[in-house]
Amino acid sequence: MAQAALSADNRAVERRRRLGDNLAGWGFAGPAILLILGLSFIPIGWSFLLSLTNSNLVSSGRFIGFDNYKALVHDPLLAKAFKNTVIFTALYLPAGLVGGLAVAMMLSRRIKMIGFYRTCFLVPFIAASAAEGLLMGFIFDPDFGIVNSVFQRVGIPRQGFIQSPGQALVVLAVVYFWTQFGFNVVIYMAALQEVPPDVIEAAEIDGASKWNVFRHVTLPTIRPVTYFLMVWGVIETFQFFDLVYTTTKGGPLNSTITLVLYIWELAFTFFTAGYGAAVAYVLFFASLFVIVVGLLYGRRRGLAV
Amino acid sequence: MKRLLTVIATFALLAAACTSNGSSEPSGGPSGGKVTIEMWHGQIDIAAAAIKDLVDEFNASHPDIEVVASSGGTDTNDMLPKVTTAIAAGTYPDIAYMYGSWGGNLITSPAIADITDAVADPSVNWDDFWPAGRETATVNGQVIGFPAIIDNLSVIYNKDLFDAAGVDYPSADWTWDDFRATAKALTDPSKGIFGVNYPVSGSEDTTWRFWPFLWQAGGEVLSDDDSQATFNTQAGINALTLWQQMATVDKSVYLDPNDNKSEPVFLAGHLAMFVSGPWEVPVIQEANINWGDQVMPSFDGTTHETISGPDLWAVFNQSPERVQAAVTFLSWFSQPENQLVWMEAAGSLPIRESITQSPDYQKYLDAYPGIGAMVDNLGNALHVRPAVTQYPRISKAMGDAIASVLLGEAQPADALNAAAEQTNALLAVPG
Repeated sequence: MAQAALSADNRAVERRRRLGDNLAGWGFAGPAILLILGLSFIPIGWSFLLSLTNSNLVSSGRFIGFDNYKALVHDPLLAKAFKNTVIFTALYLPAGLVGGLAVAMMLSRRIKMIGFYRTCFLVPFIAASAAEGLLMGFIFDPDFGIVNSVFQRVGIPRQGFIQSPGQALVVLAVVYFWTQFGFNVVIYMAALQEVPPDVIEAAEIDGASKWNVFRHVTLPTIRPVTYFLMVWGVIETFQFFDLVYTTTKGGPLNSTITLVLYIWELAFTFFTAGYGAAVAYVLFFASLFVIVVGLLYGRRRGLAV
Repeated sequence: MKRLLTVIATFALLAAACTSNGSSEPSGGPSGGKVTIEMWHGQIDIAAAAIKDLVDEFNASHPDIEVVASSGGTDTNDMLPKVTTAIAAGTYPDIAYMYGSWGGNLITSPAIADITDAVADPSVNWDDFWPAGRETATVNGQVIGFPAIIDNLSVIYNKDLFDAAGVDYPSADWTWDDFRATAKALTDPSKGIFGVNYPVSGSEDTTWRFWPFLWQAGGEVLSDDDSQATFNTQAGINALTLWQQMATVDKSVYLDPNDNKSEPVFLAGHLAMFVSGPWEVPVIQEANINWGDQVMPSFDGTTHETISGPDLWAVFNQSPERVQAAVTFLSWFSQPENQLVWMEAAGSLPIRESITQSPDYQKYLDAYPGIGAMVDNLGNALHVRPAVTQYPRISKAMGDAIASVLLGEAQPADALNAAAEQTNALLAVPG
């Protein structure tokens, strides 16, 4: 009896304590949650409603159900933007991973002026990519750019670069690699420090070659990081916009139009914001699909954190 | 995507925050007090300072109206997204600087004002504005604002490059053949010098400079009732073939990949003829280029038609009193003595005919030698672009067609027919 009363009392105290904890917790998390709700979730919901109208943003438009989504299927420019985005991801991602790891291994050594070298690789990542786009526009200019003048000197024929429908996307991927792979380098450098030196030492004592140490010790240890960089790279390249906006604006002949650039054009150049929102949702679900498939695959192989 | 949404949301929040801080809260009502109106001009540097001076002068001389002028937190390029988010948030200004090509879509907004009756007042002297400016401000018979800036395309040329190549400066009666021959004679691949420029990004900058050539050859962009594309007639094919021959056979055209490289190429002395407008004049003067300018070449000697892209001071409807106050201010602002202050700062052309008879006009001509020919060229702007809501998408189809021909990927007739097919499909869907 007395015990029951005590435990009831305890429970009340416990409840009050929990309430206090909860309030404090919400107090800390609340402002951040409000920000996220206000800047992410509400716009996401609002843009879904927008995608069900023929709004031009100037006027609210009228409700047209899923007509925008039905029209997506027949839009050749969307197909082109989607294709370009996937090709772009396929060009950048492997190069970014291999290049990032290679440079990270070089920069992990103890050599003179290592700080300087590390800075060199990180600066392009930190600089504004819009500015880098403008700069690269001049470097790869087919008529007055420095790359063609070097080519000419060493006997390679002049190239069209950002003016050629066949080359422009590749040039952009190269420039994007230069601006972005510094991020991979930093992450890989951190990961390489986590590789236990005693395991490497043990392998070396057992007579493993340098390649075998790399292949069977280093690579498996940093695999979760590789996997993270892959997913991250897909998300980033699917949102590729600023470089292409400052260099080719999607040209020549739509050969570099990407999904986000197309969405921007639909909303702010063509006055078809409703349709643009529908395309944005396609991008959203495409990204979501890649992330979920990636997560499931990673979980199965025990890589996901 | 997430970033885009964030940007939009931030804009909306900022717009709401900016206009709700009491101090400059525009007000005004039938009670008869002072009417306060807000103006977003999108200008920077000298042009912004000139507007500020004029607004101060207006406020001092008009005790019943207070104009609050600011850039609107953006430049003119991004004014449309800024104002659209402000409209969504209900915090839009009374006056905003808008590109003329946005008119067809602005008219769909319930927030846009109808000042048709207000500008009919004799004190506004509406007919004194050039026809191209008036037509751009009038959408579907409704006047939505005042002309802000008026410009036109002409051929700006580098005299030193002409002299070096031993080529005569273009004459006022030149034809397409002269134009082509001149460009070819000036082109020198060994020195990296091109005869003339053409942007091939496929944007409106690619498209609008093609229209004068179409009009000169006797073509029209759309049929009279705006239901069909008519640019794929023989006139259009002739015009596009001229540029095709110049770009792919003579190789005398600098194909600008993103619209903004022709200017530095011209300033660096690698472009002999620069098809552009008065907005380049202050920049060219500052670079000390020995320049001249000439009207567009003519198809058959009858017309040297050009194109004008007037911009607007669009008026938005907050209340009848505020709309009237906006009209009063813009009417005052466009008077010759005030307009000349703004023109000298912005390097723009006179928007009213009476400005050219003003006593101070000569001072403006002296400040920008060579701009006089561009003013005269206003008489050659006879057509405006179709004010249909689909125009931005028609422009894209056309821009891609032109770019594909100049880059040697398609033939003029095929490219124009493909663009016409897309245009007809767009026009078949209302609004």
